[in-house]
Amino acid sequence: MEQITIKIPASPAYIGVVRLVAAGLATRLSFTIDEIEDLKIAVDELCAYLTGSQGRDGDLEITFAIADSRIEIRGQAQLSPGQKVRTELTEFSRMILDTVVDSATLQQADGAPVFELSKVKSA
Amino acid sequence: MSERATLTKDEVRELFSAYQAAGGEEERAGYRERLVDQHIGLVEFLARRFRNRGEPVEDLIQVGTIGLLKAIERFDLDREVEFSTYATPTIVGELKRHFRDKGWAVRVPRRLQELHLELTKTVGNLGHDLGRSPTVEEIAEAAGITEEEVLEGLEIAQAYNFTSLDAPIDAQEGSTSFAEQLGSEDEQLENLEYRASLAPEMAKLPEREQKIVYLRFYKGLTQSEIASRLGISQMHVSRLLTRTLAQLREALEES
Repeated sequence: MEQITIKIPASPAYIGVVRLVAAGLATRLSFTIDEIEDLKIAVDELCAYLTGSQGRDGDLEITFAIADSRIEIRGQAQLSPGQKVRTELTEFSRMILDTVVDSATLQQADGAPVFELSKVKSA
Repeated sequence: MSERATLTKDEVRELFSAYQAAGGEEERAGYRERLVDQHIGLVEFLARRFRNRGEPVEDLIQVGTIGLLKAIERFDLDREVEFSTYATPTIVGELKRHFRDKGWAVRVPRRLQELHLELTKTVGNLGHDLGRSPTVEEIAEAAGITEEEVLEGLEIAQAYNFTSLDAPIDAQEGSTSFAEQLGSEDEQLENLEYRASLAPEMAKLPEREQKIVYLRFYKGLTQSEIASRLGISQMHVSRLLTRTLAQLREALEES
């Protein structure tokens, strides 16, 4: 799989950049507009857990991997110590993510909040 | 509210004299309130000029009222201008600042307006012709622009508000209730269940936004399907959905 990694400040203001990269890569896989919009909704939803609505002190490292008809995105928060991040998806988030992508997880990994998602082109 | 916009120019000046001469805060507040009542019509008029930018008019009136209060505070009776003339730029300034603070340009640049219109049209036409949601490549080719421009256009549409461009369709939806818009009893039952699960955050949303969330996540319709069902563009659905989910997230985070 080919990979691209970007690092953004942990602020909602930069989630648009992640959306744009995700959309750009999905375009290479010939995702439809509906699929791209769904992917962006998932990116929004998961990144929002890491940044919070007000932003946090630190960065998000986002890695995109594409192969054939699949895009995988992994986001890891690298925050300064003492910042609490909820890593349990709400029921509503779970439902949104189940609708728009093929798999999505959010958890603590090596002491840092990490999300992973993958979406496969339908046809 | 009884004396709303009923005072003559001279009476307004007298009210200002009394306000400025008043000693106690309570007394000042009383005069201030009367001055606000007297000029709230001006605030409403000015706020309505910004109504097509996606913010509820009631919110804009509140923002405008802050401008009015600032103008009341600063008004100098020695000036030879009427208070309404003096207050207008302050109120408009407050409204403009509100949009700027929200990260929205008060005017959508012409290039983006055109790009948005072109994309809306192309996505709609292609979807119709192909019988499925088009790809970025197909849109770029049909519209004669680059894929990057398409992506930029789709993303930037989120940051701006194109309510005025989409308005004719909004107007038709009017005040029909959510339940009325959803046909069958089955749907209404499900609707009750889902509303209970998210209440009260969900109930605070406008009817159309509730319906879009419902159709996308509870009925599994795609954005394109929702668009044709509601008679609006897919891009408009995308924008409403993105914004609505952000609002819900914030509401849930606070609760």
